[in-house]
Amino acid sequence: MIQITPLEKKQQKKLVTIWSITFLTLFPILITLGLLMRLNQGEEINLKANTFYALMTLHGLGMAGVLFSIAFAALWYLISTRYARLRVGVGYFVYFLILIGVVALTIATLIGKFGPGWYLLYPLPFIGTSWKPWSTGLSIISIIILGIAWLIGMLHLLYALAKAYGGITHLLGWQYLGKKEVQQDLPPIVLISTISLVPGVMAFLAGAVMLILYLLQYFEPSLTFDPLLLKNLTFFFGHTLVNITLYCGVGWVYALLPEFTGREWKTNKVVVYSWNATFFFILFAYFHHLYMDFVQPMPLHYAGQIASYLSAIPATAITMFGVIAQLYHSKIKWSVIPLMFLLGTAGWAIGGFAAVVDSTIAINKVLHNTLWVPAHFHTYMLMGIVLFIFAFLFYISSENKGYSTDIKTKLGFWIFVIGAYGFLTMFYLGGLNSVPRRYSDYKGIPIQSTHQTGVLLSQIAVVFIIVLLAGLLLMYISLFSKLLKKEDTVEMPVQA
Amino acid sequence: MSILFVLLTLQVSAALISLAGTILVIAVVVFLMASSSSEEDKYTAKHKVYKVRGRYFFALVFCITVLLIVSLRLLPYPNSQMPPGNTVTVVGAQWSWKLAPGEFNKKVNEFTGKNEITLPVNANIKFVVTSVDVNHSMGIYNSKGDLMIQTQAMPQYKNELQFKFQQPGDYHILCLEYCGLVHANMAGIIHVQ
Ligand code: HEM
Ligand SMILES: [Cu+2]
Repeated sequence: MIQITPLEKKQQKKLVTIWSITFLTLFPILITLGLLMRLNQGEEINLKANTFYALMTLHGLGMAGVLFSIAFAALWYLISTRYARLRVGVGYFVYFLILIGVVALTIATLIGKFGPGWYLLYPLPFIGTSWKPWSTGLSIISIIILGIAWLIGMLHLLYALAKAYGGITHLLGWQYLGKKEVQQDLPPIVLISTISLVPGVMAFLAGAVMLILYLLQYFEPSLTFDPLLLKNLTFFFGHTLVNITLYCGVGWVYALLPEFTGREWKTNKVVVYSWNATFFFILFAYFHHLYMDFVQPMPLHYAGQIASYLSAIPATAITMFGVIAQLYHSKIKWSVIPLMFLLGTAGWAIGGFAAVVDSTIAINKVLHNTLWVPAHFHTYMLMGIVLFIFAFLFYISSENKGYSTDIKTKLGFWIFVIGAYGFLTMFYLGGLNSVPRRYSDYKGIPIQSTHQTGVLLSQIAVVFIIVLLAGLLLMYISLFSKLLKKEDTVEMPVQA
Repeated sequence: MSILFVLLTLQVSAALISLAGTILVIAVVVFLMASSSSEEDKYTAKHKVYKVRGRYFFALVFCITVLLIVSLRLLPYPNSQMPPGNTVTVVGAQWSWKLAPGEFNKKVNEFTGKNEITLPVNANIKFVVTSVDVNHSMGIYNSKGDLMIQTQAMPQYKNELQFKFQQPGDYHILCLEYCGLVHANMAGIIHVQ
């Protein structure tokens, strides 16, 4: 715990509020792009294929980037107000770099029609393209800017934590493994941040190498690279980014849920072992994206499935059982915040389960690149991390104002959940019926039944997305009225 | 028994397993919400949960070990024990499939093949799959629309896929790796007789 002046706290609060409002603005816009894609697949509207793929690219990159950013900003806020001093100036610098990156990507996709999907799989950005050549360069550069911004932010955070807790081995909790009494408690959120951000830094370095190669080929088209190597780099980068977004959220579940249950949740040997193991699972699980590349060396296929399976052990036995131990017979008041933590953990579990099924090589051969894939990752994104984020937003917007939540908020929440699971179910059913992912529409599928199933499921999904948006609107009303309300001056000293 | 086998495709098994997992999660959520109204001091509550957790941990490790051992034997990768049969070269290109019998060892962009091919039923087929431009993926669908198997078509690499068509009929190839504008219309056909 650090002592922080009210002025510093106020500055950090302002930063996180700016982040929150940015997130809350972009999120429904990105959902709307998803809605448009489903409308097109349901043959309710008629987008040109290049428009569809530009929207898909913006939606995917945008969602992944925006969610990681807000997750990072949330960690930043909690850490800077409780555990280690962070420079608010660095925070603003990161914010503005990210804003520039997002604006540039929006221009590249919406105006330049840049559309190779979120993953820019090599060599697709360079061959047979349907978009403006400048948009390729602009996108690569803006992703590099985003990467630099996050890298600066993550390194600053890790550095500050290392200073506050006595070095990286202490951040990894290794002092708990020895015989000696532990001098300074390591809060789980600090441990989890470290476990997430160190692979994060590695992934961004890999991503940087990849993007620099892309940039080289963009300026000198006669250069070419090994597609298998670049596919490995791409997924190491992309998988890790998405994976740690979720773990960042888990970090603040450990920190905030105890405030509602009145039961502490501390680091101990078991927690340290399980998160240190998770470190390796984060690094090696990405091989499950390359199972269908039969030429990839066999040990890497094995590593992918084994790491994916094993990651379920710490996730369920430690974190999820931790949540259960927090809540069981706790006489908790179910305001919307703990409710979101519980349901978010459930979404993580459900999506994670479907992910483990898909990470089985023997099953992956019929689920890979069907709608099953967006099904499972949308589950732990939308019903996992997004719920953790909203819990955080409700939390900070109620700080010093009391946690009472009205019935409208809860109603909005449940409507959102119902809409989301309905929408997700259609993705799962699509996957089970072998409907491919990333099809702008299903008209070209020569198998009648697959075409019809794809269309029908999209149409039903549209209805659920509208339900989801209605729930979101209700939640927004109460969230904004809280965020913008002045804090009680009684609890907030006027001067430092 | 054979009906069961037909109904229990890999997709259906995946559905059943995932459904079971989901129901379990929902049950835990409902239980936690319903039981949270009673209060217990935190040490006894924690103690009870940890006892269950201990059993859960061993059960999970056991299940994972067994499932890994079983499933890692069922890999789709080519094995040398399979008797050699017909070889078919498959080349993906923006935006069509080219297929021709035999292995092709010259430059891929000189390869000529057609969007369809006829193959014998119940014979081992070895597909040698590659691409002239970007990544594609050859997904083989049966006439009912079930995805049976797939492998990536990556430029500069050759993926070998062994497959036996057990029923005669028309099988379709759909592209399962996003390859640009016309990805959703990149289909081929395999007549099995
Ligand atoms: C209600 C909210 C959402 C809707 C309606 C939605 C809808 C969609 C749709 C229709 C697709 C294309 C599926 C396909 O045919 O391949 C898609 C892809 C994707 N979505 Fe979402 N989505 C939502 C939320 C999210 C969230 C929260 C994330 C967070 C990471 C996300 C990330 C992605 C990504 C990465 C892709 C893949 C893009 C690509 O293939 O390049 N989406 N989404
Ligand atoms: Cu394709």
